[in-house]
Amino acid sequence: MSAETSSKSGKTVSGAGEGHSRAAVVRGISEELAETLDRIAGELGGSPDLKMRKLLIGTAPPVQAAVVYISGLSAEDSINDFVIGSLMKVNQAREQAPDPGGESLMEYVMERALETGDARIKEDWNDIILAVLSGETAVFLNGYASAIICDTRDEEGRAIDEPTTQLVLRGPKDSFVETIGTNITLIRRRIKTPKLWFEHLTVGEASKTDVAMMFIKGTVDKKLVDEVRSRIRKIKIDAVLESGYIEELIQDKTFTPFPTIYNTERPDVVAANLLEGRVALIVDGTPFVLVLPAVFPQFFQSPADYSERVDIAILMRLIRYGSFIILLFGPSMYIALTTFHYEMIPTVLLVSLLAQRENVPFPALIEALLMEGVFEILREAGIRMPRAVGQTVSVVGGLILGQAAVEAGFVTPAMVIVVSLTGIASFAIPAYNMSIAGRIVRFGYMILAGMFGFYGITLGMIVTIAHMNSLRSFGVPYLSPFVPLSFREQQDTLLRLPLWFIRPGTVSPTRSGENQTDQGKLIDSGHEDNLSPAVQAKGKTGLLDSTEE
Amino acid sequence: MRLQRRIAAIAVCCLLLLAGCWDSVELNRRAIVAGMAIDKGPSPEREYMLSFQIIVADEITGKNSRGNSPVVLYTGTGRSMYEALSNASKQIARFLSLGHIRVVIISEEFAREGIKGIMDTLERESEARLTSLMFVARGQMAKDCMTLMTALGKIPANDLVGKVENTSSTFGYNFRMEVDDIIRGIQVPGGGALMNGVWVSGDKETGKSNENMHDITPAAILRISGIAAFKGDKLVGWLDNGEARGVALLQHRLTQTPVVVHTDGNLIVFNIFDNSVHLKARAADPEHPVIMIRITQQASIKELNGNLDLMNPDMLKRAEAELEETTKKDVEKAIQIARSMNSDYLGFGEAVERSNPRGWKKIEDHWDDVFARCEVKVQVKAVTQSTEMRSRSMKMPE
Repeated sequence: MSAETSSKSGKTVSGAGEGHSRAAVVRGISEELAETLDRIAGELGGSPDLKMRKLLIGTAPPVQAAVVYISGLSAEDSINDFVIGSLMKVNQAREQAPDPGGESLMEYVMERALETGDARIKEDWNDIILAVLSGETAVFLNGYASAIICDTRDEEGRAIDEPTTQLVLRGPKDSFVETIGTNITLIRRRIKTPKLWFEHLTVGEASKTDVAMMFIKGTVDKKLVDEVRSRIRKIKIDAVLESGYIEELIQDKTFTPFPTIYNTERPDVVAANLLEGRVALIVDGTPFVLVLPAVFPQFFQSPADYSERVDIAILMRLIRYGSFIILLFGPSMYIALTTFHYEMIPTVLLVSLLAQRENVPFPALIEALLMEGVFEILREAGIRMPRAVGQTVSVVGGLILGQAAVEAGFVTPAMVIVVSLTGIASFAIPAYNMSIAGRIVRFGYMILAGMFGFYGITLGMIVTIAHMNSLRSFGVPYLSPFVPLSFREQQDTLLRLPLWFIRPGTVSPTRSGENQTDQGKLIDSGHEDNLSPAVQAKGKTGLLDSTEE
Repeated sequence: MRLQRRIAAIAVCCLLLLAGCWDSVELNRRAIVAGMAIDKGPSPEREYMLSFQIIVADEITGKNSRGNSPVVLYTGTGRSMYEALSNASKQIARFLSLGHIRVVIISEEFAREGIKGIMDTLERESEARLTSLMFVARGQMAKDCMTLMTALGKIPANDLVGKVENTSSTFGYNFRMEVDDIIRGIQVPGGGALMNGVWVSGDKETGKSNENMHDITPAAILRISGIAAFKGDKLVGWLDNGEARGVALLQHRLTQTPVVVHTDGNLIVFNIFDNSVHLKARAADPEHPVIMIRITQQASIKELNGNLDLMNPDMLKRAEAELEETTKKDVEKAIQIARSMNSDYLGFGEAVERSNPRGWKKIEDHWDDVFARCEVKVQVKAVTQSTEMRSRSMKMPE
């Protein structure tokens, strides 16, 4: 999948950035300061936010220097104090220095003058431009074919706020923000071990988005890390504006309604997953962090499960699975029962349904599709509606459409109940992307039920389960630990057993002594699915599923 | 290859569309049958006369009720059950759906001639259910039992089901008999089926209209009446009173029943709330089997009209002995009547077969003779578990 996309986007990159690529031919810097500055100004199109401060430093003769940065991206206070300020003092400092002869002025400035925390000498033109565009400051000295890069990035962003998509009653109330640095900090605060490693990767020809791959050394499967790294490196795309881009480009299978990579905006969830041996991908510019590999039961776990008492947690967990079943089969069951299997409805209820249907012109299937369609429209409109008008939508949707449709004889009240029940059930699933999956699959079931009744629903179930069995998330079977069934790993799937039952373990695509034959057929890692051989366990018998702490 | 696959996928989808929906019927295209009455028609061309009690849903729950009858009765005739059923479609605008039949009533005339043909259709038809209850209209047209308005509940068929369930759990002289039970019954060699009887008392014509519910005393009432005993598939007689209770007991279908006994001029009413019946045959000599019936009953005293001292265990023992005697009489009477009808609906033959399967083969063909003369030993043990809320009688001197 990534191969196709990359070839397409690769073309766009070379087409759009014609000038850029010609300039990139000359990767070195001129020793002439004026020429260098002209080149920078030219390349950025004389952008007004590009600041080039020229100054003179050194004793005799004074050396021309320039400080280049982009206002807004950089902390101008620290540039004034620690870059320009310290450069101005070089004059005195050099006089006082006893033996400046041995080192070059560049090294002298770098080592003795600049007061910023991070400074390094760069000679590559592209590196320097990228650094400036990231908010760092470049210091050029006349006569030197290099620049000093000082880290003056101003990580200004939204303050850490309550999570908006994964709410819990009890549990931490912080969530990720758009700045990658802050997000890494949020995780580091929770896991204070030197084994928490992260790798820095850059994705996107134009956006050069920072991606941090986080894992816990020793807990994570090394092959998994290698696999993730190689998949990310293979991405060829113009820009990554959200972690969803990365998710789509590295997931095992594109054409499935079911998500195979988990995303969250909660640092506690990421921390728990890291401790289980998963890999987290933090993408700059979005509060949604990817967690992989992800298996089906994981999408029904909520962070609240571990802060509430065991009995309540088990009940809630079961209710969530139940809601998913209602979401999938609610309308289709209703259609099948009323049009094919009326004998299964209790007589008294049947009489009441009969009376309701007496004047409804549409078949139950059309009626259901109509109502579900309306519900989807309402939901979509509700997201986009400005908050002030949001109320109107719910009133119009709930009262006018629901009640009036019944009174006008478009639909039966029973159908309204079924549709609203499935609508509410879809919100009981903690992971939004799993709830969308259910919403899509539901329509397929409705059509099957309208054609074949329960027989059709059964056929659909067989196909769905077969399809889910074919899915892998970075080599881990999607339905594990249900399929392949492992009783020992059920502590945190349908039920949430007490914490001391949940053994720590590692998520790994293969377990020792199991499916040895699978490892024979090795497939190159860029290929769509089936990574199990490439992402092999080190023979550790660990938990395949998600056991959160 | 890829193109072929795509074409195949599209073809499969088209097939799905072509194959689907053939048996889908929307609810508002269905006529739900709540009960069915089977009468014998006047001529061979119209031998089967089937009446369907169809639910008019609007009249029951709908806001669009016109205040009319909650059910409607349509009748179809034909040379066979199925023909009559199809024939009824001439009058009914909707698809006749038998999935919710609660009650099947057969006229006594038909029952006396034999019901195997009817039972075949009831079992063969995939929609009709085997849990529907079956009745025999005692000396009346079965159709007449389907046309009475009821005050409690709007669907008369449901009302009848309620009556059976209620009386079987409190009075004990009748019990639920489903289509399935009848089919099993008529297949027992030498035996026969049992069916509850129904009977309309009062003015049938007024009973058809809403007027039936106008007065506090309904003009016509459909009531359960006795048990029809069959030899094979033919009705041979009616069981009432004690023998009906005896049959219910021997069929393990007695749940609760009041038993009135007299001890020393005192009237005591026991409520029997638990029975265990062991029916075994000692059939080493299959020609002369001995049927052993052991019955244990748990009872409570519901009524005491007299000055019997219930605190005295001996007194209680005597009362219990009377109770045992009454039960024994019921059972013996039930057996005696079964013998007089020459129908082993009590299942003695099965008991013999269970205890001596090889011997059964020898007597199977003349089981009727053996049944008529075999020895039966009845042993009853009754235990009074409580005297309910009072111990002393009101009539006892303080």
